[in-house]
Amino acid sequence: MEIGVLRRDGRTDPFFDGTAAGRLVVRRCEACDRWFAPDASGCPGCGEEDLGWAEASGAATLVTWTILPKEPPAFLALVELAEGPWLHARLDGVERADLREGLALRAAFEHPDEGESYVLFRPWTERGSVR
Amino acid sequence: MGTSIVGLGMTELGRVYGRSPRRLAADAVRLAAADAGLALGDLDGLLVSHGMSGSPGIELADTLGLRDLRLLALVNSYGATAGAMVSYAAMAVLNGSATTVACVFADAPLKPKQSAGSAYNRDAPAGKAEWYGFGGMTAALGLRSVNSHYALAAQRHMARYGTTSEQLGAIAVATRRWAAGNPLAQLREPITIEDHQRSRWVSEPLHLLDCCLVSNGAVAVIVTSADRARDLARPPVHLWGWGQGHPGHRKERGSDFGLATGAAASGAAAMKMAGVTAADVDVCELYDCYTYTVLVTLEDYGFCAKGEGGAFAASGALGPGGSLPTNTGGGQLSAYYMWGMTPLSEAVIQARGDGGRRQAPSTDVILVSGNGGILDHHSTLVVSPHAKGA
Ligand SMILES: [Zn+2]
Repeated sequence: MEIGVLRRDGRTDPFFDGTAAGRLVVRRCEACDRWFAPDASGCPGCGEEDLGWAEASGAATLVTWTILPKEPPAFLALVELAEGPWLHARLDGVERADLREGLALRAAFEHPDEGESYVLFRPWTERGSVR
Repeated sequence: MGTSIVGLGMTELGRVYGRSPRRLAADAVRLAAADAGLALGDLDGLLVSHGMSGSPGIELADTLGLRDLRLLALVNSYGATAGAMVSYAAMAVLNGSATTVACVFADAPLKPKQSAGSAYNRDAPAGKAEWYGFGGMTAALGLRSVNSHYALAAQRHMARYGTTSEQLGAIAVATRRWAAGNPLAQLREPITIEDHQRSRWVSEPLHLLDCCLVSNGAVAVIVTSADRARDLARPPVHLWGWGQGHPGHRKERGSDFGLATGAAASGAAAMKMAGVTAADVDVCELYDCYTYTVLVTLEDYGFCAKGEGGAFAASGALGPGGSLPTNTGGGQLSAYYMWGMTPLSEAVIQARGDGGRRQAPSTDVILVSGNGGILDHHSTLVVSPHAKGA
């Protein structure tokens, strides 16, 4: 997958520390026990603007998807982390026939030669990745 | 005492080059004042809305030479702005802070030799692209366009309720049939469901014919009291009700993103103020950035049950001769894309009986919608050729 080069932006760096180590690190409000996407600007529960970072399990389910007409097709999605927040994401290792609400997914990490590591989501069963 | 729309000004719309958004806006306000039989000096209020161009702002008052205004503001609720502006103008007239308020939208995102799509999308940089931060990562992975965000919404509705692409196509076909009767429409050639199905994927499940146009131009309306409206040049279009809905979809477990929108709260508020129900509505002029937006809005307004918008559209209700004439000028899908001014301008034309070949048979109650962001913001107006309560 050729995606260009990912760089840090100073605002979401702990997320990329996480991807480099194969961990899904997202935002969390300790006070409210609520999880958010890495680009969340604050907690609507308590107004905290300086959210903490915490490691999520990496387990997720498929909320909805769209397919870009590329060769090969790009499967883009909203996924729901087990901890609650939704992430915009790209799916990997899926085919059209797999796509359904609630499809079990798991974060997978890519480590390109140049630039930051990034996360994709792959179908997942108890026995491990489907493909 | 009530309020009315008394002037409508529309510049050339579409691939109109050589005029800045500010110039276009000024032209539209002048046209609206002339249409109403007013001088520019009669205006004591100006509400301004801009699109992707980020211009004009309130300096438009200076461009127009307006003096001693009692109301002047830049308003922004994205695609819900037109309805919101008109309601703020009406409230100002009702409470006496202004008497005659122009509301204008202008945009010029199209550049010569540039595709319409590129005006609204985040293109990949040339060469080896560099992307920054988490947002840059999702863009790098392919999520770069508004089209894809609406595709995510539409796909969720399809998966949950069984809505089909052919049902979305029925909206595109009905809207194009209306456009055939509108000399101002950019696309007037008839299309079929097969044409819709064959049109290229933009971001699946959205085909090209599910997506609106991109247009340059400006549209203005003038709001004043119903009393004053009686003495002006054109038949008044009376404002019966208005509402807004900003659901604040959180992107987290339990969100109804894609399934329901702010139209539910907004429509209920506007219809309550107007003293009507969905059953009383003769014509709908709905914000149709995508066919799907029309479908979900019809559901949220209560014209059919939740999840049945697809079947409702496929029944033929929306097109010429149907039970609920909708987007009678061809909407944003086929006529012109002036954000919320597209449905509002057609509502004014229909209420005045100026629709010509496309005039709807009955226009006593017209519902107008606006939608902004990714289904984040909604506004509704109820308008009529008749004074409220008359
Ligand atoms: Zn909190």
